[in-house]
Amino acid sequence: MRYCFYIGTCLLLIIFQTTVLSYFNVTRGIYDLLIPFVIFLSISLPVRECLPFILILGFIVDSLSGSPFGLYLTFYFWLLVGIRWSIKYLRAGNKLFLSLVVIVAVLIENILVMGTFAVFGPVGQLPAEAFRSIAQQTFWALFTGPLFLFSLLAISKRFNIQINGAAAAPKT
Amino acid sequence: MFSKKMVLIVGGVVLITVNVILLSVTSKSQSTFGFGRVGLSFVAPFQELVTCSVRFAREIWERYFFLVSASQENEDLRKSLNDAIEKNNQWNELKLANDRLRNLLNFQKSLANRVVAAEVIGKDPSAWFKTVIIDKGKADGLQKGLPVVLPQGIAGQVIEVSDRYSKVMLIIDRNSAVDALVQRSRARGIIKGASADQFRFEFVLRKNDVQVGDTVVASGFDGVYPKGLRIGQVSDLSGRNSNIFYEITVRPFVDFEKLEEVLVILRPKTEAFASGQ
Repeated sequence: MRYCFYIGTCLLLIIFQTTVLSYFNVTRGIYDLLIPFVIFLSISLPVRECLPFILILGFIVDSLSGSPFGLYLTFYFWLLVGIRWSIKYLRAGNKLFLSLVVIVAVLIENILVMGTFAVFGPVGQLPAEAFRSIAQQTFWALFTGPLFLFSLLAISKRFNIQINGAAAAPKT
Repeated sequence: MFSKKMVLIVGGVVLITVNVILLSVTSKSQSTFGFGRVGLSFVAPFQELVTCSVRFAREIWERYFFLVSASQENEDLRKSLNDAIEKNNQWNELKLANDRLRNLLNFQKSLANRVVAAEVIGKDPSAWFKTVIIDKGKADGLQKGLPVVLPQGIAGQVIEVSDRYSKVMLIIDRNSAVDALVQRSRARGIIKGASADQFRFEFVLRKNDVQVGDTVVASGFDGVYPKGLRIGQVSDLSGRNSNIFYEITVRPFVDFEKLEEVLVILRPKTEAFASGQ
C-alpha cells in the first residue's frame, strides 16, 4: 500500500508538471517538482527500496523531455547518493537542512543542465535566458520547495499511521 | 585485499566515468535507443486524460461564466463583422485574379502532401528543453524526422515515435536548426532556437540586404521542412560592421506558449526540396 502511495504521487507529479502547469503563465518558470519528491524518497526509504523508484522516475522524465537521454536519471541518482551521504552526518528531520537541500538540489540540477549545454551542446553556447531561468527557479524553490517537501512528509506520515497504525519517521 | 574505502572510491570513479560517457553519446546522437518510447507509451495516456479534463473545464468556464462580458463583445464584433464583409469582398476579387495567375504559371501547391492533425497533450518537464508530446504515433503513419507545422508557420519536427504518441522538438529548442531564407532578398542563414519568443538567425552574410520586418521562410535545403513555410519576422538587426555575419533576432509567427493543435506533414515532396536548389 505504501508503494502505491509513492507510485501514485510520482505519476501525479509528472503529469501535473507536463500538463496542468503549462496552462498557467505564472508557473511557467517553475523548478523540477520531482526534486522534492526524490529528496522525500531518499530520506524516507532505505536505499534498496528507493533506488528502483528513483531510476524509474529518471527514466520516465528522460523519455518525456528533450534533454540528452540519461540526464535526469543521472541527476536523481547522484541526488540520492548525496543525500544518503549527508544524512550520515546531519539529522534528516532538521527542517533547515531539508529546506537547504531542496534549494541546493534545484541549483545543482540547473548547473548540470548548463554543463551539458556547455560541454555537449551543438555550439557550446549557453541559452540566452539562462540567468533569468535559474533565478526564477530558485525563487520558486525558495518559497514552495520546502513547503512541498514538508507536505509530502506529513502526508506520508499520516498515510502510514492509517495503514500501519504507527508513524514512520524519516530514517536517519 | 582492498579496503572498503578503496572499493567505494574506485566504484564512484567508474560510475562517474560511465555516466559522462553515456551522456556524451546520448547528447551527440539525440537518440534514446528506443528506451524513450517505453516511458512515452506509459505516461502519455495519463497526460492525454488530464489535458482533456483541463481543456473541458476551461471551455465550461469560458463559455458560461464569461457570458457577462460577451454581450459588449458581441456589439463590437458585429461592427467588426461589417468591416470584414467589405474587406472580404475585395479579397475575393483578388483571390480570383490570383487563382487565374497561379493556373497560368502552373504553380504547384506547396502543401500537397498528406498531413495528420494532432493534439498537444503534454509539454517538456524541464524549463530548459522545448519539446511537446502529441497524440499521434506510428499507427497514424508518423516517423522520426517529419516536420510539424501550423497555419502560422513551422512548429518543429518529430524526434521520437511510439505506437500512438510522438515527441516533437520545437524549433525554439536550442538543439533545433532550420535552413532559412529572407523572403524578400533571399539572404540565406540558419534559424536557431533561443527562447520561447525569439530565434537567432545565424550565418547571414553582411553583403545581403536584410531589414527589420522582413519575413523569414524555410529554404528547403535541410531536407526536413518544405520550402516556403513561414518561420518568423526579423525583429532586431545588430552586430559590428567588422563582422562578416549579421546578428539577427527573429520573432516567431507561431505562439509556442499556446500550442494546442499541430499538423504533421507525412511525406514532404522531394520536388519541394529539389526546387529549393
